[in-house]
Amino acid sequence: MEDLAAFERLVCKNASDFHYMKICLVLEKGRRNVEAAQFKQLMISGLRQLYGEVGAALPFDVLKFDPSTLTGMVRVCNSSLVKLWSAITLIGSYQNELCAFRVTQVSPFLIALSGNSRKLELD
Amino acid sequence: MVCKMAMFMDLNISFTKDKKTLQNIIETAAHLGYSTVAINYTLESQQKKPEIPKPASISDLFDKLPVVQGRSRPIKVLNRLTVVATDPSHFRPTSEYKLFDLVAVHPKTEKIFHAACMTFEADIICVTVTEKQPFHFKRAPVNGAIDRGVFFEIIYTPAIRDSTMRRYTIGNSLGLMETCKGKGVILSSGAEKPLELRGPYDIANLGILFGLSEGDAKAAVSTNCRSVVLGGETRTTAFGIIHTVKKPPSAPTPSDKDESGETDNPASKRAKMEQ
Repeated sequence: MEDLAAFERLVCKNASDFHYMKICLVLEKGRRNVEAAQFKQLMISGLRQLYGEVGAALPFDVLKFDPSTLTGMVRVCNSSLVKLWSAITLIGSYQNELCAFRVTQVSPFLIALSGNSRKLELD
Repeated sequence: MVCKMAMFMDLNISFTKDKKTLQNIIETAAHLGYSTVAINYTLESQQKKPEIPKPASISDLFDKLPVVQGRSRPIKVLNRLTVVATDPSHFRPTSEYKLFDLVAVHPKTEKIFHAACMTFEADIICVTVTEKQPFHFKRAPVNGAIDRGVFFEIIYTPAIRDSTMRRYTIGNSLGLMETCKGKGVILSSGAEKPLELRGPYDIANLGILFGLSEGDAKAAVSTNCRSVVLGGETRTTAFGIIHTVKKPPSAPTPSDKDESGETDNPASKRAKMEQ
C-alpha cells in the first residue's frame, strides 16, 4: 500500500492576493508586431465578449510583455482568475486572423514564473 | 515508483483528408501535454446508404510519433467513430465498428437519446453544441448512462469559433449539469486546426464555466477520458480487460511479472468482469 503516497500534496491557503500568469499569443501566420497595449486590448475584448461590460472592467495588469516572442506576464487578483482565464481560452481570432493564447504557467508567486520545470534539462 | 498523475486526453480530433493538418494537430496536442488523442470519423446516417469509414492506420500518418511534453513518451493515437443518429436503426454495432477504438453516438431526438443512454453499445454520447438542445435532459436516462459507464461529451471548438455557438455550448452544458451533477462528463476539442486546440489546464478551467466543479472539470479531461478508453477496449473483448502496471523496482525478477500485475480498473469496470 506504500505506493499510494507517490506524491505529496501541500495546501497553502491565503498565500497571495494575486495570481500571476505567463501567457503566449500564437498567431496563424507567424509573428508580427503586437504591442503590449494591443495584447491587453485583445484580452479585454475577450473578457467583454464573454462577460460583458462588467467583465471588461476586471482589474488585471500586464507586468511585462516581450514583443519578440509575444509572451506576457499578467497579474490578476484571485477572484477574477477563472474569469480571465476562461475569457482568453475562448479567444479565437485577432484582427481576422486565427490565434490562440497558450497559458504556460500560473502561480500565486511571481518568482515561480522565472523558471519552468517542464523545460528543465537534467544532466 | 508508480506515479498516479493524471494523464490528459483529447478524444475528439476531426479527421481530415489533409495529412499535413492532421499531423500538425497531433503534434500541437503532444506539445500541449495531451498523452492520448483520438481521431474522429463521423458517420452521417441521414444519407440513403451510409458508408462506414475505414480508419486510417496511424503508422501511415507518422513514422515516429511526437513526444508528449513533460512525459518523454510518444503520444497515443486512437480511432473513433461518431454515429449521428436520427433513428434508432442508424446505430448498428456491426463488425465495422470494431475497427475503431471508441464508438460515439450523437442522438438528435429525445427517443434516441433515451435509447443511447440505456441500451446502445457506445462509449460516448455527444451533446449538441451547435444548436439549441431540442429536448430536456431527463434524470432517468442520464443516470442510466452514468451507471452503465457511458460518458457525455462536450466539445469546445464551436465555442471558440463563434459567439452564438458559445451561447449554445454553455446553455446546453449547464442544462446537462443540472441533471448529471458534473458526473460522467468529458470535455474534448473537436479541432479541425491546430490553433483551435487549447491546453488541458485551460480546458479544466473552462469546465468551471460549463457548470462543473473544479475537481470534476479536471476529471473531465483526465480520469473520465481514461475510463472511456478502457471501456472502449472492453467492448471488443468478451468480458473485460485487466490493466496491469509494473511494480516498483523492489519487486524481484521478471519471473513473477505475471502475478504481480494489479488491477487498476474503476469500480464500474470491475463489476462488468464478474458477469
